[in-house]
Amino acid sequence: MTATAAGTLWYAYAVVGPVDDDVRAAVGGELELIGSGEAAVVAGPVDESEFGEGALGARLNDRDWLEQAVQAHERIVQRLLAVATVVPLRFGSIHRDRQGVEQFLDSRRPEFAAALARLRGRVELGMKVWLEQEPEAPPSRGATGREYLERQRAERDRRAGATAALEDRLRAIHERLLAAADAGVLNRPQARELSGDPRRMLMNAAYLVPTEHDVFLAEVEHLRREHPQLALDVTGPWAPYNFTELPER
Amino acid sequence: MSVAESPSLREQVTLIELVDRVLSTGVVLTGDLTLAVADVDLVYVGLRVLLASVATLESGQEGTTP
Repeated sequence: MTATAAGTLWYAYAVVGPVDDDVRAAVGGELELIGSGEAAVVAGPVDESEFGEGALGARLNDRDWLEQAVQAHERIVQRLLAVATVVPLRFGSIHRDRQGVEQFLDSRRPEFAAALARLRGRVELGMKVWLEQEPEAPPSRGATGREYLERQRAERDRRAGATAALEDRLRAIHERLLAAADAGVLNRPQARELSGDPRRMLMNAAYLVPTEHDVFLAEVEHLRREHPQLALDVTGPWAPYNFTELPER
Repeated sequence: MSVAESPSLREQVTLIELVDRVLSTGVVLTGDLTLAVADVDLVYVGLRVLLASVATLESGQEGTTP
């Protein structure tokens, strides 16, 4: 094994296990399996000019670079997910050399082995709940001053009631999905400016489900029929990014 | 075609979904080089600016042929 060439860093994508021929085939030629047996890191060489300290921060603000970099990262993770249990690492997990990667794995081997055992045969599904339509406010044509104020107060009360009712619905949706999954987490809904979607995002969740997850998807269908004013968008399957440390249910 | 359905905005939503996942979840490596929290915030600032401009562009093109 040659020493790491100058200007080369090691980018770690995920921990996988157990290492078998399918995993080796998925890893292919340009990546390396560092470790063996129950857990190994999948890593590959990257250029210091792109991923080195300082350089990476600047690149992250280049949308085109970021898009191709996260997609390249995810392509590898998806390839691994097809053949093995995957504990995904965060984007930008970089070591100076191969030895650093080995040491990282060795120092956490028991935790990774436990995580791999917990996550075996499971994938992550994303769930976003959107409000399709803001509730309409009644028109206020030709109102007197007093009528206008009364209407404002009524509208405030209606909105407060609508918000509470909506929160109940979302809680119920999460409970139902949790019951159809192995685990679930609620993340912060994305701001409209960030998601770019003009609809309001009400819920941003992730669920850990079996690789074959017809039961979960059937539940989503039921919920869609029960809540026609909401849009339930499922994404994935993803590697279990949100479940590398399983939360208490 | 509504704003939410147009292909490039859908791509943006998908990119955000992906970026959110790989940048803010997954195991954090405390290795030689780790993405600083400040760098991640910068990513979102940069993406917000780009998405705002895409959304403006899309709404301006409603009703025109793609």
